[in-house]
Amino acid sequence: MNTQFKKGVLELCVLVLLDRKDCYGYEMVDEISKNISISEGTIYPLLKRLKKERFVISYLKESQDGPPRKYYKLTDLGKEKKEKLVEEWRNFSIGVNNLLNSEITNNLGDIKDE
Amino acid sequence: MNKKEYLEALSKLLRKLPKEDREDIISDYEEHFAIGLEKGRTEEEISKALGNPKNVAKQIKADNMVKIAQNKPSIGSIIGAILATMGLGLFNLIFVAIPVLVVAVIILILFVAGFIIIFTGIYWVLLPFLHLIIPQLAIPTFINSPGNDILNILVVVLCGIGLTAGGIILVVLMAYITKWFYELMIKYLKLNLKIIKGRERDF
Repeated sequence: MNTQFKKGVLELCVLVLLDRKDCYGYEMVDEISKNISISEGTIYPLLKRLKKERFVISYLKESQDGPPRKYYKLTDLGKEKKEKLVEEWRNFSIGVNNLLNSEITNNLGDIKDE
Repeated sequence: MNKKEYLEALSKLLRKLPKEDREDIISDYEEHFAIGLEKGRTEEEISKALGNPKNVAKQIKADNMVKIAQNKPSIGSIIGAILATMGLGLFNLIFVAIPVLVVAVIILILFVAGFIIIFTGIYWVLLPFLHLIIPQLAIPTFINSPGNDILNILVVVLCGIGLTAGGIILVVLMAYITKWFYELMIKYLKLNLKIIKGRERDF
């Protein structure tokens, strides 16, 4: 899939996941990879950018096994951004689906005409 | 690629970044490797899933550049933007506004001329009839020989038809030219707007 397009979607996914609960990077990669194929390395630059834009903050938290992990938490600004992106995504996907479905009906029409 | 190779490659690609940023990023990837290993993946698997370090580095550097450009508008860049906007204004005034005005006036004159020609043509066509009603109206003389009045009137009427047709063609042509000119102006104004907006847009 187009990388630019995927980048935008990845941002949406990360914000949505963080809205549910605070996560560490690997956790998010795991969760997202279950659903869509991504190159896992791209999530860290993204998190860094989200942090710089103050959509998320990070903190270290002890883990039962191994060294402390860097957790990410959504800020109020991040929540707003998430709402906006979700809304945009909904409209976008509805639009695309409409387009795809209308093509199907047209095709059916063509077949009927023949 | 194993963990060490991957992190070294990434670190090398990010050498131009501030040390603090670089170490922060590298620590993120170290954490990723550590957790992945805990979950039973091999270093090779993890590096493969992370993707080419070049792509990762490219993304980080791109984000960094944008950050710098957004946050530190230098005095130089501000002055540059102001001068460019002013320059655009001056350029518009001298090289665009005056020619536009001249062209607009020419278009207007040609329109008026077109209508005058049409009305003259119609007038000439109707002249023989009007002459019967109002004898004071003079018929222009094209053929100056006595006894050829009928022929002269015919020529006047034919000329009238010709003028009317010519005038209509001129007006229609001008309408097209006006439309084209108008679209060109809109396009140019939009371009201006884009240039000015482009300076404010975050990229």
